[in-house]
Order: sequence, then structure tokens, then C-alpha cells
Amino acid sequence: MSEVLAVDAADLTKIYGNVTALGGISVQVAEGEVYGILGPNGAGKTTFLRMLFGLIRPDSGTLQVFGRSWESHGIGVLEGVAGFIESPKFYPGLTGRKNLELLAGLDGGTTPTRIDEVLDTVDLTERQRRKVGGYSFGMRQRLGVAASLLRDPRLLVLDEPANGLDPAGIRDMRALVKRLAASGLTVLLSSHDMGEVEHICDDVTIMRTGSVVYHGSIAALREQAPAQAHRIATTDDDAAEKLARARDLDVTRTEEGLAVRGTQDRIDSLVADIVGAGIAMRGLSLDETPLEALFFMLTEPATHTAALDGATPATSGAHQ
Amino acid sequence: MNASTLTAPDAPQTAPEALRPARRPGTATVLRWEITKLAAQARSRYTLLGCVLGPIAIVLIFNGQQTTPSDTIYGRQIHTSGYAMPLFLLAFASQWIFPVLASLVAGDIFANEDQHGTWKTILTRSVSRSQIFWAKTVTAIMFTIAEIVVLAATTIVASMLLIGTQPLSGLSGQPLASAHALQLVIASWATALPPLIGFTTLAILLSVVTRNPSAGVAAPVVLGLVMGLLGTIGGFDLTRRFLLTTPLDSWHGLLTEPPFYGPLTFGLGVSAAWTVVCLGFAFFSLRRRDITGG
Ligand SMILES: Nc1ncnc2c1ncn2[C@@H]1O[C@H](COP(=O)(O)OP(=O)(O)OP(=O)(O)O)[C@@H](O)[C@H]1O
Ligand SMILES: [Mg+2]
Repeated sequence: MSEVLAVDAADLTKIYGNVTALGGISVQVAEGEVYGILGPNGAGKTTFLRMLFGLIRPDSGTLQVFGRSWESHGIGVLEGVAGFIESPKFYPGLTGRKNLELLAGLDGGTTPTRIDEVLDTVDLTERQRRKVGGYSFGMRQRLGVAASLLRDPRLLVLDEPANGLDPAGIRDMRALVKRLAASGLTVLLSSHDMGEVEHICDDVTIMRTGSVVYHGSIAALREQAPAQAHRIATTDDDAAEKLARARDLDVTRTEEGLAVRGTQDRIDSLVADIVGAGIAMRGLSLDETPLEALFFMLTEPATHTAALDGATPATSGAHQ
Repeated sequence: MNASTLTAPDAPQTAPEALRPARRPGTATVLRWEITKLAAQARSRYTLLGCVLGPIAIVLIFNGQQTTPSDTIYGRQIHTSGYAMPLFLLAFASQWIFPVLASLVAGDIFANEDQHGTWKTILTRSVSRSQIFWAKTVTAIMFTIAEIVVLAATTIVASMLLIGTQPLSGLSGQPLASAHALQLVIASWATALPPLIGFTTLAILLSVVTRNPSAGVAAPVVLGLVMGLLGTIGGFDLTRRFLLTTPLDSWHGLLTEPPFYGPLTFGLGVSAAWTVVCLGFAFFSLRRRDITGG
């Protein structure tokens, strides 16, 4: 790892009319790191990544990529940086390969062999001669990855790369990102899905409506996560709820029954109580993972006040 | 994505820093890039083809008619001299064909990146907005020049071959020998270039500002028609001098005896002013703009 940070953003703000897209966020990504920017819709993830690529200008704050800034280095900031924002876009009337050739032209050119390689990496070799206008969403997403890899990046920036893909597509895209990350590349990945980043990323910044609500390692976040929640459905949810409260468990009513938070032992005992009281179990399933639960608590605290009781708000590592 | 598996490479994607060539393309490379893209467009190829075939068809049609279009300058002489036809068509094209030709590519060249959402794709490579701006601008201007040169060449050659190389009467009634007439016809067509470059940059501005290819192409044509109309209404004499359509008539001075060059030089200034102002606004609009679409 070098001394220079891959990304060093400080107090970035961006205001659109009366919407604060970014309210002074700071993000630091070390070289070689796999970093997640996590947040629900409208959190400001895309706005931040657009800023990194120089597509929009911050109202205030500073941003450096490998120690270079837009003010002093212009397009030179993007040397060694590649990726895409939202869904990647291409010229629909041209073939996938022609699009890649044209884009490579804007990087000073490449060899046909290199284009073959990246097309192979994203499994588009067979469709390369078809017009992009006829590509499926997933194919365009993969062509976006290919176009990024053509730049031989040190920093790969991906804005919700699995967004809009079908389950198989999501699985394949995640596998690709994982393997790229494992190859030593610095990866900055945005997502609204904790499950997508928790096994890939070392560190995360969690955002909500333009501000950072958590900033730190996934490991530290995991320590602060609440106990695993279970969904319990019974023939008499009122009685089951009373039994849970008697055991001092954190319980909330949901449409389908109860959501109960506690260690596996305590849940097991509760189930025994319920059945012992002559109430039939209709369902017992795992709810969101602890990290997902924490993510929801951080990003939509209003609807999770009950769940927040007893859990430590994980803003200790937050920047502001 | 379908169920096919992505095969990520096992080897690292990154080349060592020292091995990676510093490759920041110059504006000439971006210009070649833009021209390649334009050449791949059917619209540009068909337009140039139209500039070859259109005049031949028009010359054939007018030459075959018994009557002459006497309400347009040089309309009366089109059957008597092969040099009258190109001048008649020059006057005719100035009304709306020229603005259409000037904006066909220029009105689209910026806005189609908005239409396809590709600004973010090209601006995240290794070239600056300024480089893209100048490459697109030069491409659009070169295309306009190419259209006019092709149009002029086919019109003149077709007229000379189909009608003949008879002497021409000047606008003061003076006889103009064949060779001299040819020079004046070529010079007259050449005077259309500065205002048409002005129209091209107007289309570029509208393409940048509206971010809509249809508006970028249609608006300059409408503005051209409005300017043409304003020019014919009395009481707008001062305004008239500064309209972009006025220099399109300045060739008349070349065909009088003695010739007058005043409108020609003034028109050159007017065209240059429109060009500089339009390009200035377009450049700063693109430079400052937040790319949020796509
Ligand atoms: N060009 C714009 N004009 C007005 N408001 C904007 C613009 N771009 C973004 N915003 C607003 O800024 C906020 C942040 O948007 P942004 O797209 O960065 O969120 P996001 O985290 O990427 O969300 P998503 O998960 O939906 O992609 C939103 O409230 C959005 O409506
Ligand atoms: Mg987004």
C-alpha cells in the first residue's frame, strides 16, 4: 500500500435547489482497499461518484484521487481510474466491439488482442458484432465492465453494478467484482444492499440523505450489529408476544407475525415455551442479517426505533 | 444478465505503474475519433450523397421546363447560360436549404450524447471536455464546408454540362465572358461559407443548450426563416444588417458593374461575430455543466 490515498474526499457538498444531495461528506480510500459506499435510494452515492469522475462539481469541499485534484490536474485525475456511473451507456447503432474500439481511442488506442481479452473476461465474445441497441440490460452492464477494464485501472469505481440484473446476473456480477477485487485492484463500490458489500469490502461508508452515518471497517460494524432477528408466526401471536416479553426478548409485531431479536439459545427456549403453551408454530425463519438490520437502523431510524432500543448507534466511527 | 458465467481473469488487471504508457490523446486524435463516429452515421453519408444527386436532379428538372422562375434572381437566364443556374440555385438554397444543411450534423453532434446518455461514457476516459468540444465543433464545421463544396461543385459542373458555357449578363446588364463568369460563380458560392459557418455554430449552441437533437436541428432552420422574413420587412434596416441571413445575399455585389464589396466585408464581420458569440456560449455552457443524465 502506498502513502497516497486512492480517494481522499473532504467535506464535499452539493445542493440542488432545496435538495441537499451531499451535506459535507468525507471519504478516504487507501490504495488496494475494497471500499463500499452504502446507502438507500437518494443517499447521494451517485452524486459522490459523479464528483469523483469530474462529471459534476462540488459546491464546496476538496477531492483528490491518487493525490491529484480536478483543479490542478484536470482530466489527469482519471489516470488509472475507470468505472461507470449508474447503468453504462454506449452508442446503440454501433456494435459492442466498435464501441470499445472508439472508447479505447479516447484513451490513446489499444490493440485488438486487448479488446478480445476484455470481451472474453465479461463473456461477450460471441455477441461482440451485434449492435449495442439490441443488447440486454445485463449485456450492457458487462460491456461497461469491459470498457472499464480496457483502461487497465488501479482504481475501479462501480456504481451499483448489480442494479437491475436478474438473480443469475447479480450472482455473476458479484463473482466478477469479487475476483477483480481479489486481483489487487482498489475497488470503490456503491450499493444499497448490505449483503452485496459485506463479504467483498474491507471498509464502508454508510450514507443517508447526503450525510455519512457510519464510516469504518465491516469488522467493527459487525461488532455493533444487533442480534439476529427471527420471524415467528403462530396460531396465537398475542400470546406468543407475551411469552417473548416475559423472556425479555426484543420483539416487534409485523404483518406476518413477530420479529424477535435474540441469541439462538434464547430463541430456541422461546419456541419451546410457545409450543409448551399449546400454541402451534406456523413459521420460523431468519430475518435480515444483523448487518442488514444495523444498516436499516442507521439509514431509516424513524421506522426502526423499536429495534434501536438496546442497540448501540454505530456512529462512533463516523466522520461527522 | 443471463445465466452464463462471467469469467474473471485470475491474473491482476493492473499493469505496473512504470509499464503503463502515459497516453493522453491530443485534440487531433479526438478529432479523428469524432470523424470516425460521424462517418459511421448513415445520416452524414446520405446527406453528402444528396448534395451530389440533388443538384443534378434540380438542374435537369428546371432545364426541362418551358417557363423560367422569374421571381428569383437569375431565374430568367437559367435556359440561356449554364452560369445562371448555379446563381439561381445559390439564391434559392439560401432561403432554407442552407440552414438545414448547416444544422443537420451540428445540431445533433452534441445533443446526441445527451440522447444516448453517453456524455458520462466519453468524459470518463482520458480526454477533457474542451478537447471533446473542439473536436465536435471542428467536425461540424468541416462537414458544413464539405456539403457546400460538394453542392457547389455538382451544381456548377452539372449546369455547365447540361446547359452550356454561354456568357452571362451581370446584374447591371454587363456581358460577362464565359471564363470570367465561372470565376464569379465560384466566388459567389464561396461567399456563402462564412454565414453558413455562423449557422453551424448557432446549431452547435442550440445542440449544447437544448440537449435535444431535434431542437438542435430544427431551431436554427426556424431562426433562419425568421431572420429571412425580418430581412424582407421594412423598418428593420439596422437589425437587418446584423442578421445571419443578410450575408447570404452579399454576392450580388460581385456581379454588378462596378462591383461593390461593402456588404461582403460587413457580412464577413457579422458572420464572424455570430460564430464567436455562439461558440463562446456553447463552450462555457458545456464546460460548466453538471453531467447528471445518462
Ligand atoms: N441533477 C439533479 N437535480 C436535482 N436533484 C438531484 C440531481 N441529482 C441528484 N439529485 C438528488 O440528490 C439526492 C441524491 O441523489 P443520488 O442520485 O446521488 O442518490 P443515490 O444514493 O445514488 O440513490 P440511488 O440509490 O437511487 O441511485 C437525491 O435526493 C436526488 O433526488
Ligand atoms: Mg445512484
